[in-house]
Amino acid sequence: MNHFATFDLPPTFALDVQLLSSRYRDLQATSHPDRFVSATDAEKRSAMEQTTAINDAYGTLKDPVLRAIHMLALSGVDALDANDTSMPHDFLIEQMQWRESIADAKLKEDVDRLADMSEELAGMLQSLGTTFSYAYQGEHMSVATTLARKMRFTQKLIEEIDLALVSLD
Amino acid sequence: MALLQISEPGESPEPHTRRLAVGIDLGTTNSLVASIRNAVAECLPDGEGRAMLPSVVQYAEGGAIVVGQDAMAHRGDDALNTITSVKRFMGRAVADLRDESARYNFTTPSGDGKGALKIVTRHGAVSPIEVSAEILRTLKERAEQSLGGPLYGVVITVPAYFDDAQRQATKDAAKLADLNVLRLLNEPTAAAVAYGLEKSEGSGNQPVAGTYLIYDLGGGTFDVSILRLTRGVFEVLATTGDTHLGGDDFDAALAKHAFDTWALTRALSPAGQATLSAAARAAKEALTDSDAATIKVNWGCGFDSSIDVSREKFVELTQTLVDKTMSAVKRTLRDAKLKANEIDGVVLVGGATRMPHVRSALEAHFGKPPLATMNPDEVVALGAAIQADQLAGNKSGDGETHLLLDVIPLSLGLETMGGLVEKIISRNSTIPIAKAQEFTTFKDGQTAMSLHVVQGERELVADCRSLARFELRGIPPMVAGAARIRVTFQVDADGLLSVSAEETTTHARAEVVVKPSYGLGDGEIATMLQSAFTHANADMQGRALAEARVDATALVDALTNALNVDRALLTEIEHAALASQVQHLRQLSEGADHRAIVRASEALNVASTDFAGRRMDRAVSTAFKGQSIEKII
Repeated sequence: MNHFATFDLPPTFALDVQLLSSRYRDLQATSHPDRFVSATDAEKRSAMEQTTAINDAYGTLKDPVLRAIHMLALSGVDALDANDTSMPHDFLIEQMQWRESIADAKLKEDVDRLADMSEELAGMLQSLGTTFSYAYQGEHMSVATTLARKMRFTQKLIEEIDLALVSLD
Repeated sequence: MALLQISEPGESPEPHTRRLAVGIDLGTTNSLVASIRNAVAECLPDGEGRAMLPSVVQYAEGGAIVVGQDAMAHRGDDALNTITSVKRFMGRAVADLRDESARYNFTTPSGDGKGALKIVTRHGAVSPIEVSAEILRTLKERAEQSLGGPLYGVVITVPAYFDDAQRQATKDAAKLADLNVLRLLNEPTAAAVAYGLEKSEGSGNQPVAGTYLIYDLGGGTFDVSILRLTRGVFEVLATTGDTHLGGDDFDAALAKHAFDTWALTRALSPAGQATLSAAARAAKEALTDSDAATIKVNWGCGFDSSIDVSREKFVELTQTLVDKTMSAVKRTLRDAKLKANEIDGVVLVGGATRMPHVRSALEAHFGKPPLATMNPDEVVALGAAIQADQLAGNKSGDGETHLLLDVIPLSLGLETMGGLVEKIISRNSTIPIAKAQEFTTFKDGQTAMSLHVVQGERELVADCRSLARFELRGIPPMVAGAARIRVTFQVDADGLLSVSAEETTTHARAEVVVKPSYGLGDGEIATMLQSAFTHANADMQGRALAEARVDATALVDALTNALNVDRALLTEIEHAALASQVQHLRQLSEGADHRAIVRASEALNVASTDFAGRRMDRAVSTAFKGQSIEKII
């Protein structure tokens, strides 16, 4: 299933998010189950299935990490392959350091530091995305795959900070 | 992808016949019914001009069932047979209840306190679904009288934070009242529709666009939702809430203050409790406009008590409740990845938002006063009426239709080995949504698999709400890990879940509509999300232990089996050494030290590597013997 085709968009990482949202709403406007409340059960079911697929596609493309993984899948690469999880050593060390810093800031209830770290990681995620885009265009698939995994790691760190921040509210 | 052009199937065949559709706000304290009349949404009053129907049902002597104001009059003198706040019991088990457990005589058909609860009245045991159906029936009659015909369909609102069991119970109540439910609609979303469309009329042809936070503090539930409005599309970005926090808790704080001050020596009877609650509520309402109020209770027999409460004291008593709501507000902002200054307006819903310290807390956080141009008691019902009218296919005057894209409030998952939750659908995903996940067997030759569906944010099954259990049978016997069980979760536009499972190599199927078992442990849904964050650490510990145990048990089982089958591949000494290490790990995995279990597992893995190599060699050398060519290819 090519999620880009669902929205009639080219399969590029640098996606026009505004256009994606607007196409998404247009599709929803015609297929949403709310439009089929008085229809037959078969039509209701098909509306639900179609809307479900549209939501799935939108959810995937909206998120930069899922979008990168989906693009790799379209090129036949399974970035989440459980049998191949090798990551550069220095990156893993860096990850551990981040985790320690987050745990430390959480322990000290240092909300400002957590927020700063979140912002820094968001910046990193963005530049990883840009690099991914180039690597993918240049068909350097193994580089692109490593970058997509790095993006995933980075996003997990951001989520971890979010959880920490909520617990400190 | 080519889209088929389909005409509006819901549209009335004749342009001038309108289908009668209403919106119902089935509230904890009060319920309302509203409809579109002359292109304007309005609440339908009863014969005496009252729009609000108290959500109170009395099972009176002589077999009559009394609903509303007349039932409310008996809250004191017939407390056990006069059911209030029944919404709190929807989709709940006795084990779920907190302080309400003393109010009525509850019973559980299953007898263990875990099944759906019933309330014992003089008419026998009634379920919360039946009680709610009485309220719905009363509103249905009111609407049909007022609109002059049978209803085509209704939209019923539910708190955004209602889980699957509570939504299902609400839909069942509607069925019981013989209502055609067009859609269950989240209360804050309904309020946004009422506000959004009202505003677009006010500003000419300019459609409203912007991001709004809906703060909905009802009688018994609290919800926060953030919606983005774009060209007639209402998109819910995030929702959070607490199904056990509402205006009633403010009354209870006042009542407790009075009770403690009076230093009454005896516990109150249900009747006394009801009288005190009513007095506290009256004082709370008075404190909205005045700086002081009196809680006055006449206990009967010429004995009465009274106490003066200043607004300052009231704020002091209830500030923690307001703070709790503000934590949820912050959490919702974070979920939606928005900052307070990116919110274009805060919409107030629910009578409890009239309290001045609620409004000032919101104003302080958002730097602008909340929007309160509509009646906070009616706005949900009005929005539901607008939605019902559109769903029924009655196009509004200008032919414009709007679209609601709502989300699921709590994550859904499956229990995996060791009591862990595998999340399948994350909260705040736009509905309808489906997700599939593959699972595999744990033991050799396993032919059945029990699936346990849970809802909540915690990592351990014991801390989430149990929704349903079902079994997938007829899995062909294979070695552990070979079967592929694909489980699909489908959440429909009402937020209701259905689950199906299939073994993908043989296509053995199982399907269930989730009819909840209400099998809760400590299951207080309101605190589930909060505690997910607070206990993230404890969870991680529990999770680590559970994972270590699962891995260790799998290793012990596999090696025990291998040691039996391939004993010939080992010397006597090698065999004894491995067997003793297996025994050691088996003992450790019964303990609680996950690090020791992990260490012993690793050691055993290393120690058995050579044995595994020999087994593999032998397997390879025998693998192709006696097999036909086709099978190898």
